[in-house]
Amino acid sequence: MEKVLSPEGAARVRIAVTVNGAERRAEIEPRLLLIHFLRDVLGLTGAHVGCVIGRCGCCTVLWNGRPVKSCMVYAVQTDGGDVLTVEGLGPLSPPAPPSPQGGEGGTTPCEPALEAPLPPMGEGGVGGRGLHPLQQAFWEADAVECGYCTAGMLMAAWGLLRQNPTPTDEEIKQAISGNLCRCTGYRNIVAAIRAAAAAMAEA
Amino acid sequence: MTETLTWDGAASEYAIGGRPLRRETERFVRGAGEYVDDVRLPGTLYAAFVRATVAHARIRGIDTSAARALPGVVAVVTAADVAADMARLPGTGGPIVAALRFHALAETKVRYVGEAVAVAVAESRYQAQDAADAVVVDYEPLPVIADAEQALAPDAAVLFEELPSGNLVQEVHFASEDVDGAFAVADHVLRERFRSHRWTPCPMEGRGVLAQWDPLVGVLTIWSSSAGAHAVRGRVAAALRLPENHIRVIIPDVGGSFGAKNGTYPEELIIPYLARRLERPVKWAETRTEHLATVRQGRDQVHDVEVAVRADGRILGLRDRITADLGAAAYIDNALMATVLYMTGAYDIQQYAVDAYGAATNKAPHGSLRGIGKADAAFVIERLIDLIARRVGRDPTEVRLLNFVPEDAFPYRTATGAILDSGRYHTALRRAMELADYDGLRREQAARPAGRVRRGIGTSLVIEPTGAGRRGAGGGFGACRLRMEPSGRVSLFPSHAQQGQGHVTTFVQIIADRLGVAPETVDVLPVDTNTAPFGTGAGSSRSSVVLMPAVYVAADRLRDKIVQIAAHNLGVAPDALVIDGSAVRAIDGSERGLTLRDVTRIAYNDVYLLPPGMDPGLEVLGYFTNPNIVYEPDERGRHNEFAAYPYEAVVAAVDVDMDTGAVEIVKYVSVHDCGTMLNPRIVETQHVGCIAQGIGGALFEELGYDEDGQLNSTFMDYLLPTVNDVPALTLDHLETPTPFTPLGAKGAGETGTLSPPCALGNAIEDALAPLGVRIRQTPYTRDRVWRLIHAAESQRAPQRE
Repeated sequence: MEKVLSPEGAARVRIAVTVNGAERRAEIEPRLLLIHFLRDVLGLTGAHVGCVIGRCGCCTVLWNGRPVKSCMVYAVQTDGGDVLTVEGLGPLSPPAPPSPQGGEGGTTPCEPALEAPLPPMGEGGVGGRGLHPLQQAFWEADAVECGYCTAGMLMAAWGLLRQNPTPTDEEIKQAISGNLCRCTGYRNIVAAIRAAAAAMAEA
Repeated sequence: MTETLTWDGAASEYAIGGRPLRRETERFVRGAGEYVDDVRLPGTLYAAFVRATVAHARIRGIDTSAARALPGVVAVVTAADVAADMARLPGTGGPIVAALRFHALAETKVRYVGEAVAVAVAESRYQAQDAADAVVVDYEPLPVIADAEQALAPDAAVLFEELPSGNLVQEVHFASEDVDGAFAVADHVLRERFRSHRWTPCPMEGRGVLAQWDPLVGVLTIWSSSAGAHAVRGRVAAALRLPENHIRVIIPDVGGSFGAKNGTYPEELIIPYLARRLERPVKWAETRTEHLATVRQGRDQVHDVEVAVRADGRILGLRDRITADLGAAAYIDNALMATVLYMTGAYDIQQYAVDAYGAATNKAPHGSLRGIGKADAAFVIERLIDLIARRVGRDPTEVRLLNFVPEDAFPYRTATGAILDSGRYHTALRRAMELADYDGLRREQAARPAGRVRRGIGTSLVIEPTGAGRRGAGGGFGACRLRMEPSGRVSLFPSHAQQGQGHVTTFVQIIADRLGVAPETVDVLPVDTNTAPFGTGAGSSRSSVVLMPAVYVAADRLRDKIVQIAAHNLGVAPDALVIDGSAVRAIDGSERGLTLRDVTRIAYNDVYLLPPGMDPGLEVLGYFTNPNIVYEPDERGRHNEFAAYPYEAVVAAVDVDMDTGAVEIVKYVSVHDCGTMLNPRIVETQHVGCIAQGIGGALFEELGYDEDGQLNSTFMDYLLPTVNDVPALTLDHLETPTPFTPLGAKGAGETGTLSPPCALGNAIEDALAPLGVRIRQTPYTRDRVWRLIHAAESQRAPQRE
C-alpha cells in the first residue's frame, strides 16, 4: 500500500484488493473499515452494518477465503488480498441457458424451477443469473425473512463449506454462532445450510 | 431439529393456504435488497447526532464551534437553530402528554441518555461523527428517576415541570360491577407482586432516514426504515409546516421492526428539515449504541395483583394495580391500556378491577415491543394460574382447563368489553399436553433422583390480540389499490409494507386465487405515499386482520369488472366466465373467451365496447374495516380495541442448574392457532422467530438502568439469542378462523413471543419450588436465577461438614 496526503493534508492510503474476482484500487483513509469500503466506496451494499463491534455478523465476508466480520477489519489490511462478498456468490459452474418462458413479453417466474438440478461442483462463479447452491437452499428452506442477516449468514456458511463440505449440525451451528438473526429463529437457516451441503456433495 | 405435526399444507401453489416460496427472497439472497442505507443519491451528506450522556439534566450551553470548523462539516444544528423553521409537536398518545410540546432536538433539558441534542452534517459518515464528537454540551445534572414507583412518589424530581400531574402521564381505571362480591365469597385470596422487565425489539437493521428536497417543485422525498409511511408524512408535514401532499415517503426494504419502527421519531423530522435547509440529500443510519439507547423500549411494569379463588381453583375475581414505566414519555404508546384490557387472558373472569398508572422516568420513551401490553398481562395471569394451582393442590393444567373461556362461548365478551373472536383453548392445551407427553414428563420428574440439576415443567396459554383500532389513533382498517395495466400485468399498492413477514408473497397468493391471473404477472409495488392509499402502518399484526382482507376485496372487485366487460362482449352471463391465467373463458364448454389483453384494450382504448354506464380503466380500491372493534366505551368504559385473537398453548420442560443458574430448555411444545393460515410456511417461520425472540426476552435480554441512566450500550451487554440458544421445538397448528374477515386469518406475527416468559417462568418455579424459590419477575438470566437459588439455600441453613 502507498501512503499519500489528500489535498487537505489528511492521511490517505492507496490500496489494491481483489473483490469478487476483480482488482479494485482506491485511495482511502487508514481508519476506513472494510464494511464501509465495500458499501460506500465500491457500492457493494449486500453486506450490512448491524453493530460495528463484530457481534452480529451482518457484515460477514470472506477475506482470503475465511469468514471475517468486515466491521472489525480495516480496508487497508486487505491490500493485496482477496475479498468475496455475497454479490460474488454465483452458480458453481456456468449457468444453464434460460428455459423458454410462456406468455407474451415473457417474465421471469418468481418461483425457482424446483425440478431443475442444482449446478455441478466447480470453481466459484462470479455473478450471473444463476444462484449459488447456498442461495438456492436458503430460498427453498424459507431461511430468509427481512433479509438483513442473510448476506452474512451466506458468507459464514460458504466459509464453512469451503473448508468442511460435510459438516455436522453442530459444526453448522458453530459456524453461524456469530451471526444474529432476529426474524427466523435460525431453524430454517440451519436446514438450508445442511441441504446445500448435501446438494453439493451429491453433485 | 424441529418436528411439525398434523397440519399438511397444500402444495406450493399460489392460492390462499398454499405454500409458495417467497418471491422477495431472491433479491435478499443475492444481496440486492435495498434498505435505506443502500439508497444512494448523488451529493448525499451524512448526519451524526450528539446525544445526551446523562439521564436528566438542564442544558446550560452547547458549543458547536469546534465541530463546525472540522473538515467536511457543512452544518451543526441545535434546537435553537431550528426554532424559527420547525414547529414543536405535541406529545402523542394521551391527554396528559398532549399538553407538552417537543422539538426534534432537546431544548432546555435532556430526559434520557441518548436524547438528541444536536446534529452534525458532513460530506462523509466519519467526518459527521468526528463533528458530533467535537460538540461540547454543558449539563447541569438533575436527580435521575430510574423507577416508575419512585417517579410517582410525592418528592420525586419531575421530568416535565409544566405538567400539573408531576410524573404521572397516563391513568386508567376500570371496575366490573361486583368485584368486591367476588372477593367476599372466595375460599382463597392470593396477593402477589410481579414485575416485567424492560427490553427492546432490536431488529437487525437499525433506523435510518434519507431525505431529499426538490426546490423546483417544492417536494420533500423521504426514505425511512419505518413501519408507517403515512404517519411519518403527517408528522413531517406538521413539523416542517409543509402540506402533506408536498411530502413523499417511500418505504425501502426494512430489516425487521417488531414494533421498533412504529410511530415517528425525532430523527425522522430533523433529517428532512436538514435536507430542505441544505438543499442536498441528507442521510442518517443509526449505530447500534444509538439504537439500544433510544429506540422505544418495551414491557417494564409492576403489578400488585389480588385474585379471588374458589376451593377447586375456579377464579372468581381479579384486582390489579399496575405501575408502568413509560420512560421520557414524549410519546405514549398503547401498552398500558392493552395490559389493562387483557389481564384476564384466556380465562372466564368477569369480575375485574384495575387502577393503572403510567409514569414518566429518565429512560428512553416506551413503545411497541412485539406483544405490546398483552405480554405483561399474560406473564401475570399465567404465573397466577400456577400459584393458584399450588394453593389449591391441583395441577396447573387442571386450573387452566377449569377457567378457560369455553369453546362454545365465542365470540366472548370479556369483563373489559373485549370481544374474543374465536378459540379452542381446551383443545389447544390438551393437544400440547399430548404432544409433550405431559403425564410422562411428570412421572419422569417425580422419579428423578435429587441432584444439582432440577427438572421443571411449565405450561401456558396466551392470547395475543391483534389488529388494533382505537379512538384518536386510527387503525382498524386496511386499504390497497389494485390495477390491471394495459399489458395485462397487475399492480398492487398496499397501504403498508412488510419488515420480513412475507406480505408480498401472501398478497400475490390472494390475488392469484381470487383474480385468477398467473402469479408471475402480479407485482407488489413499494409503499410510497404518492401511490399507496392512506393506512395506519404495519403493527399489531394487522396485515392479516385488515390489509389482506382489503386485498381480497380489491381482487374480487377487479375480477367482477373484468368478467363483466368480457360477458358484455361475449354475450354470456358473467357467472359463466372464469379468469384463467391470461384469458377470460366460458365454463360452458363453448371455448368462447377473450384474452386479458382484449379486455384491457376495451377498458383503456375501445371504451365504446364497455357495458353501458361502466367507467373505463381497470383500477379499483379495496378497503376492509374489521367489524370486531368497538371504539366507543360504554358507561363502565368497556370497549374492544383489538379485532382478532390468535393464541398459543405451550408445554415446556427445563433443567435448572443449581450451581450456575443456567436454564436449559429440554422440551418446548407449541400449539399455535392464528386462524386460517394464508401461507403455512410463512406462518411457521414467523412463529419460530417469535419463540426465539420470546426466549431472548425471558432468558437473556435486559435493559439495565441505575441512577446514572442506561447501562447497556452494545451487543456485548445486550444479548440476543444466537443459534445455540433456540432449543428444539415441537410445533403444531390449529386453524380456528376469525368469523370477522373473509379470510379468517388472525395474524401470526406476535403470539409466540408472549409464551416463553410465562411457560419458562412456570417451569423454573416448578423446578425450584421445593427450595422456596419464587419467580415473580423477568428475566430469568443466569445470575438472577442463581441469586434466587443461593438466597433460598442460604436461608435453609444447610448442614455443612
